[in-house]
This record gives sequence, structure tokens and C-alpha cells, in this order.
Amino acid sequence: MDQLRTTPCGLSGCKILVVDDDRLNIRILAGILQREGYVVAEADSGERALECYAGLNPNLVLLDVMLPGIDGFETCRRLKQTYGDKSAPVIFITAKNDSDDVVAGLGAGGVDYLPKPFNPKEVVARIRSHLQNQLLVAEQQRLVEQLSRANAAKNRFLGMAAHDLRNPLASIRGLAEFLRDGTVGPLNSEQLELVATIHDASQSMLVVVNDLLDVATIEAGELKLSLGSVDLPDLVGKSVALINIEAAKKNTHVVMEAKAPASPLAIDAAKMRQVIDNLLSNAVKYSPPGSRVTVILTRDAERHEIGLSVRDQGPGIPAGERDRLFKDFGRLSVQPTGGEKSTGLGLAICRKIVEAHGGKISAENLQDRGCEFRVTLPESK
Amino acid sequence: MNFKGSILIVDDEPHIRKFVALIVRTLGITAVTEAADGEDAIARFAADHPDVVLLDVNMPRIDGLETLRRIKEVDPDAVVIMLTSLANRASVDRALDLGAANYIRKDTPKEEIIRSLAETIDAAFGPGDNQT
Repeated sequence: MDQLRTTPCGLSGCKILVVDDDRLNIRILAGILQREGYVVAEADSGERALECYAGLNPNLVLLDVMLPGIDGFETCRRLKQTYGDKSAPVIFITAKNDSDDVVAGLGAGGVDYLPKPFNPKEVVARIRSHLQNQLLVAEQQRLVEQLSRANAAKNRFLGMAAHDLRNPLASIRGLAEFLRDGTVGPLNSEQLELVATIHDASQSMLVVVNDLLDVATIEAGELKLSLGSVDLPDLVGKSVALINIEAAKKNTHVVMEAKAPASPLAIDAAKMRQVIDNLLSNAVKYSPPGSRVTVILTRDAERHEIGLSVRDQGPGIPAGERDRLFKDFGRLSVQPTGGEKSTGLGLAICRKIVEAHGGKISAENLQDRGCEFRVTLPESK
Repeated sequence: MNFKGSILIVDDEPHIRKFVALIVRTLGITAVTEAADGEDAIARFAADHPDVVLLDVNMPRIDGLETLRRIKEVDPDAVVIMLTSLANRASVDRALDLGAANYIRKDTPKEEIIRSLAETIDAAFGPGDNQT
């Protein structure tokens, strides 16, 4: 019947290192394992086993506990120390079904144990299941590595493409401005309209490209903060003044309500400005014309935190879409009220910048209408 | 600003040279020459001695920083303003160390580029000084 018991596909040829000072035990185990199509190597001490492991790189180790010199547990610990997660699974061989031994063995990094005397069927079944497990883990590691390489390649490509697009786009926008301003001579109204279209289209493409470039930089782990002592109320004030020019087109007002006592924060002013601008422009974008956007700065003295809240009067965050909010390309079903554009990257970038500062960003719907975006930043000591 | 000197625009991309030339024209500067790479820039600088050089950073072969270094070798007092789309801190620091007068991002709105350019030129030549 032996020839009918075939080794599962992929396991034949797996290398197993058997470590035991009892030659009879080794012979019995080797017999069982070779019949299954495994390649067996042997060692009669812990020290030999460690030497042998380096050259063989086995898929599994069967390790006797009682050995001359360093014992099985120590051998296992050293294997784990040297090879870490990559080390092959270790199954201990114990003379009797001693539960103390088993516990100690699992503590030392073993995955299982085999009691002596051996039951061939049990030996084969246990070894097969651990080998399969190990192959799956290795396959998984390979896939994860492959995916992270692919992701890095995607980010490099994104960065390169965005960077190469940015210069020509900035030129198109700039040259259109020169035409519009009459620097190179007057234009009639139809020509002006065309030039304005070219300008607006290149401007919104530039925003998209800059967002993509930000994402590529952040994802590649190249988000570097240059921290300086910054007066947050002042920074927010500048942002509010600027957004009010845009907001006025929709008859919307952005007002700064409460100002926390100014305590200088160690933040990257340009990056934090990007976060504030983004939250304010979103609030204006998604509120109906004639709305009021409120900005509130608070300080939690107990938790040493500064809070920045932006409240809008828009439709709020639809139920079930909240988890998409801060993810890449996580555009929601709600639409800007004035035909503005959105890449779905802005809040993802905000989250990454805020988190790089050790802060948090969250969003809640308000009771009546609208929602509140809240950034909290740790105060510098 | 009352600067009436000459300017050399260095950029490997023709559309950017066009854009920068219009910016310079807005400032009332008419003596403008252009170079498409670092080597060309160094040769033109040696030949024409322009009062101001507007220098791109990312260029093939001899990049902007190396071009800046060589121009400063020829004339340590040369007024060189870096124009770049990518303001990474290391290259900003390196350019300022090498003696660049300023560092301007060319993807900022043109009014801002015009303003910083005028400020830098005023700082270097004085607002009322008439260069020839």
C-alpha cells in the first residue's frame, strides 16, 4: 500500500534535518521520511546541527531535546536568533509525553513536538502539515515583497510623471496669463475667453499633478518636515484671509471664531498651511452658496493639545462613506456646490501630514447640517 | 525698480525660457540673452558678462549648481538667481552656499516670481541705480 501514499504535490524533495544522538532513532525517522520522498540530513549534536543548517538550509528540523553539549531548546533558540522569521519550523522529539518539556520547547521557538516511540502515521501527518504551512508562509512573504516592490515602482513612476508634467503645465498657465494681461498686445473678448479657458484648465491640472506628486513623495517615505516655531493662529489667519477671496464668489464667509492663546508650535509651516488651506477650501467647496464656515482654535491644557476645527454647512458625510474620507482617491458621493474640481487626494495628504506631526485628523457630522473636520496637534514641550 | 542691465536666461526647456523672458520683459528689462544648457551658459557668461543670470537647476550634463559654481569662479560677484520647479532643501542650501543671490520656484504664480525677482535685483543693484 506504500506506493499509494503519495507525497502531496510540492513537498517531495523537501529537506529535513534530523538531530538526535541516538542513531537508531535517526534510522527509524529517516526510513519513514525517505519513503515520503523527503531528503534527510542528520546531525548527532546541537553544535553539528547548527553547522549543518547553514549549508543545507532545510525546510524543517526534527530536534531531540536531550543532546550532548547544548540541548535541543538552546539549539532552537540559536537557530531563531540567527535566522529569525526565515528559520525553518522546528519540531521537538521528546522521550516521553512530558508536558513541561513541550511547554519549554514551544517557548524556545518550536512549532510542535513528536513523542517517542514514533507512530509513523502521526510523524508523516504532522510533518506534512508543518511543511505545507511553511511553504504557504514563504509564498506569502514572496508576494508581500513583490507587492511592495510594485508599489515602490508605482510611486517612482507617479513622481516622475507628475514632475515631468508640472513644468510644461506651469508654463502653459504662465503664458496664458501673459496673453490675458495684454503683456504681448490686446486681445478681443472672444480671444480673452479662450485664453481664460486655457488658463483655468492648466491651473486645475496643476493642482492634480501637485497632489499626485505629494502622494508619491509621502508614499515613498520622503515626507520630510522642516519644523520651526510657528504661531498657529497667525498661520490660520493668513489662510482664512486668502480663502475668503475665493469664498466671496459663492457669497460664503469664512470666519475665525475662537482663538486659543497663542503658544508657538513646532510644526512645518508650509505643510501645515497646506492642511489648513485644504480643509478651508473643502468647507467652501461643499457648502451651498451663502454659507458660513467657522474656524475654531482651541487648546487642551491637560492633554497638551492644540485643536483646529473647521465647520461647514454642507450636506455632511454620507452614512457609510466615512472610512473612505482620508484614503487615497477616496472621493465621496457628495458634489462640490459650485462645479469645483476634486482629486480625492487632498484629505489623504492632510492625514499624512498631520500624522507626521504626531497629530490626528477626524471628521464628524454636526447635529443640524454640515460637518466638522478637526485636527489636533501635540504641543511642543 | 530701475534696473536697466542685461540678463541671461538659462533653461533647457524652451517653453520656460519663453515664460521667463516675458517675466523679465514685464520688469522693463530689454537686454536679454538665452542659453539652453550649462555649457552654453558658461560660454555666454564669459563672452557677454550679463549683469544677472537666471539659472535653472535640473539640466542635463552640467546642472545648474555646477554651472553656478563655474560662473562664480569666473566672477565671484556675479548675480545669479536660481529658478527651479523642485525646491529641495539640500539644493537650496548648496546654491546659497555657492553664492546664489536667491532661489525662486518657477511654479509659483507669476506675480510672485516677478516680485521676488525685482526684490533680488533691487537688493543687488539698489532700487535707483541705473545699470548700463
